[in-house]
Amino acid sequence: MDSLDSGLMRRPPVQPQSKKPTPPHNAQEFDRLYRDHVDLIYRYAHRLCGEVEAAKDLVQETFLNAYRGLKDFRGEAQISTWLYTIASRACMRMRRKRKGEPERELSLDEFVPTSEGEFRLQIPIDGLTPEQALQNKELREALDQAINKLPKKYRMTLVLRDMEGLSAKEVGTIMGLTERAVKSRLHRARLFVRRELSARGMTQEDHQSSEDWQPGGFGS
Amino acid sequence: MTGKKSAGAGQSRSSPHHHQPGEGRCLDILRQLSAYIDDELPSDICAELRRHVGVCPNCEVFIASLRDTVKLCRSHQAPQLSAQERAMMRQEILQVSKLGAPR
Repeated sequence: MDSLDSGLMRRPPVQPQSKKPTPPHNAQEFDRLYRDHVDLIYRYAHRLCGEVEAAKDLVQETFLNAYRGLKDFRGEAQISTWLYTIASRACMRMRRKRKGEPERELSLDEFVPTSEGEFRLQIPIDGLTPEQALQNKELREALDQAINKLPKKYRMTLVLRDMEGLSAKEVGTIMGLTERAVKSRLHRARLFVRRELSARGMTQEDHQSSEDWQPGGFGS
Repeated sequence: MTGKKSAGAGQSRSSPHHHQPGEGRCLDILRQLSAYIDDELPSDICAELRRHVGVCPNCEVFIASLRDTVKLCRSHQAPQLSAQERAMMRQEILQVSKLGAPR
C-alpha cells in the first residue's frame, strides 16, 4: 500500500499480479467491506479532516487502497483496525502533499500554567452533560477548531483514542507507536485542546459570579 | 515554561494555596493528569495525587477542566453520509479500481 501515493483520480489501472491473482469473489468481499465500514471510516475521516470534501477524498483513498490490499489481508488484526491504519497513512500522505511543512511538536512545558489564572481557566459546560453542552453551536465549533489546530499526529492520536474510543494499544498498532508514546501524545493533545477551549471560556470566579449564564453564552 | 497567556487577571486574590503556579508538586500533577483521568495510575500515586488536589484549588480546577475537555471529545458527534453519497462514493471507487461494472 505504500506505493499508492498518487492522487485517487490520476491512478493508473491496477495490473493483475501473476503470482497472486485477484480471487473472483473479491468484488463481493469488497462490497461487504465497504457496506460494513464506510460509516466508521467516514466518521474518522471527518474528525481528522474537519470538512466534508476532504473526508470523502480520504474515504475513497482508504477503500481503494483497502481493495488493493484485501487479498493480502490475513486477518491478524481486526478489519476495522486495518482500515483505520490505511486511512491514517492515507491522511498523512494527503496532508503532507498539501502543506509540505514540518509538523510542530507540542512540548509539555508550553502547557505549564504560569499564573493562577491559567490554572483556573475552565471549560464552560456549567453542570451540563457533555452531550447537552455540545448542543451549543459555539462550543461545538470551538471544539472543532481546537482539534483542527492540533498538529496532525497529535490530532490523530486524540481522535483515535478519545473520539473513536480505541485503546492505547490499538492506537499504537495503527500509528506504529508504543503505548507509552501514544499516551504522551494524547496527554499533550488534551492539554492543547483544554487550553484552546478554556481560553475562550471563563475563569472559575467569572463563572461563579455569572448566575444567569446559559450554554449559549459560551465565548461571551 | 513558556506559558504566554495571562488570562483571568486577579485570580490570586482568593486562593489559600501557597504553591507557586508552574512549580513543584503542581508540575508533577500536570504531567500525570491524563493517566489519572484514564485511571491508569498505581493506587499509591493516585492517592497521593488526590491528597494534593484536596489542598490545591488550582490543581483541582485544572483537573476538572481537563476532564471536561476529554468528556467533550468523547461526546463529539461527526456527520453521517447519506445513502446517495455512500452509493456515489462506492461507484467512484469501483470505477477507479476497474473493479466492476455499475450495479
